[in-house]
Amino acid sequence: MGTNGEAQSIAHVMLRYVIALLLVTLAVLVSLSLQNSFGNPFWFFFSAAVILSTWFGRTGPGWLAVVCSTLAVMYYFTPPVRSFSVSPSELPYLVTFVVCEVGVTRLISWRRKTEDALRQARDELEARVAERTVELKTANDALLKQMEEQRRTEETLQTTRAELARAARITTIGELTASIAHEVNQPLAAVVANADACVAWLSREHPDLPEAKAAAERATQGATRASDVITRIRSLINKTTTEKSQVPINRIIEQTAALAEEQAAKNQVQIRLELSPDSPVVLGDSIQLQQVVLNLVMNGIEAMTTVADRRKTLTVQSHIQNGDLIRVAVLDSGIGLSEEVKQRLFEPFFTTRTKGMGMGLSISRSIIEAHGGRLWGESNGTAGSVFQFTLPGEAARLV
Amino acid sequence: MKDQDPIVFVIDDDRMIREGMQSLIRSVGLRVEMFASAQDFLDAKRADAPACLVLDVRMPGLSGLDLQLKLRDGGIPVPIIFITGHGDIPMSVRAMKEGAHEFLTKPVRGQDLLDAVQKAIAADRMLREERKDADEIRVRFDSLTPREKEVLELVVAGLLNKQIADQLRMSELTVKTHRAHVMEKTQAESLAHLVRMSERLKSAARK
Repeated sequence: MGTNGEAQSIAHVMLRYVIALLLVTLAVLVSLSLQNSFGNPFWFFFSAAVILSTWFGRTGPGWLAVVCSTLAVMYYFTPPVRSFSVSPSELPYLVTFVVCEVGVTRLISWRRKTEDALRQARDELEARVAERTVELKTANDALLKQMEEQRRTEETLQTTRAELARAARITTIGELTASIAHEVNQPLAAVVANADACVAWLSREHPDLPEAKAAAERATQGATRASDVITRIRSLINKTTTEKSQVPINRIIEQTAALAEEQAAKNQVQIRLELSPDSPVVLGDSIQLQQVVLNLVMNGIEAMTTVADRRKTLTVQSHIQNGDLIRVAVLDSGIGLSEEVKQRLFEPFFTTRTKGMGMGLSISRSIIEAHGGRLWGESNGTAGSVFQFTLPGEAARLV
Repeated sequence: MKDQDPIVFVIDDDRMIREGMQSLIRSVGLRVEMFASAQDFLDAKRADAPACLVLDVRMPGLSGLDLQLKLRDGGIPVPIIFITGHGDIPMSVRAMKEGAHEFLTKPVRGQDLLDAVQKAIAADRMLREERKDADEIRVRFDSLTPREKEVLELVVAGLLNKQIADQLRMSELTVKTHRAHVMEKTQAESLAHLVRMSERLKSAARK
């Protein structure tokens, strides 16, 4: 390859010299043929030969053309003609010619070099641009990949966060349950011990009524204490529901829908809102009401996970009924409610899911009831179910 | 009631439970003493009679398990019936390992409690008799002279008088005299009886 390339380049250089010679020869021939009609026009043609030789053949052939032209001029066009000698009177003429030719070849050679440098610079620039383009593309690809990764990380984070929240909730409920269990179990133990004692005193051969009475009284006290514990827990729960304010129910629904959007998209569920144009307002705890709506929406999405033969649409509606009652309905096109499920819907710890706590609807119902409303669920015509709740409107409260 | 009548100690910080259990146990004719805390029980002067403890595991201050350890370390071997709020397995395992007699969950069925109490008292009565016997035997054995004790060891080990005489460098007649004293002082009815008593002392010492 190397020698081949070298030979090629040598041939190329030779060709350039040959062209220079040919151009000069052509100039000689043309000048000779035109000499008779126009006198002595050799200037012009030799200059053209030198210019072309220098332009296409670069410096070496340029010089060759200058030398050959000079020799040809000395031989053919300066007296004595057909001889290389030059008469002294013609010497200034020849010198001028040579100087001009040298000037031309230098000038053209310089122009050519400049042009070459320019072209090379342009080529280099282009190469560099191409290189940078590739680099940019790589960087861009990396960036896209990173963004994709980040998106996935965020998704994981969100899932983890949701799981964590659930775990925390369950832990809290677990702790609460354990503490309630202890609080209630203690008086119950007293009731059982005293009732057993009472029976024992009565079952003796000679029943001891005063002892039996005392035991029975203690059993009653124990039962009263257990009931007090329950009352206390209930008041504790009620205490947290007193954060009441005017709540625009449509806003709550919109916020909840936004919250559930991701979960819905993941399950290919479309959420549709059909909200009352009258912007109904209720008096209540916005966070709790949002919790209820979110719960119903999530349940609806969950009910559609296994649906494959129809569109998965979750519709949330708000209406004003009879002028003072606000009704919110959540409709899904899911698996609907069997008779057995319908019976037990609101039982605490009842769930149809493997992962569910079974507390959602039961808590939701107590929240709605604490707001003076009603919550119920039924089958939704042909497919799916509808859960709805009513709340007294703010206007109703003021009347 | 006599001082030797069995007695049940009920220790629970919840007054109503304490009184309920006390009443229940009393209804079957047992003596009951109540304490509101483990410390109260430790501070009290207790009658020397077959007894058992009905003890709530979870109590403020000294817990049921703490009291169990204290009693064991103080050499007061009373059977303990533990009462726990909910089936706390690690706790019950620990209590059982430390020798708890029974473990009942609240609310306790009356009959279960009474059965456990009766069994615990019977167990304590047996333990006390055993301890009493061992104490009597120890008193008798302690009255032996050092020389008699040496002879006793070898007799119990099954050596003949002649062998004992050789080993202790004394005449066979002297061995016979010592042996007669040993039998008399320990009130042994036979060689077999002597061996049994000796074994019993040793096993009691091991405990």
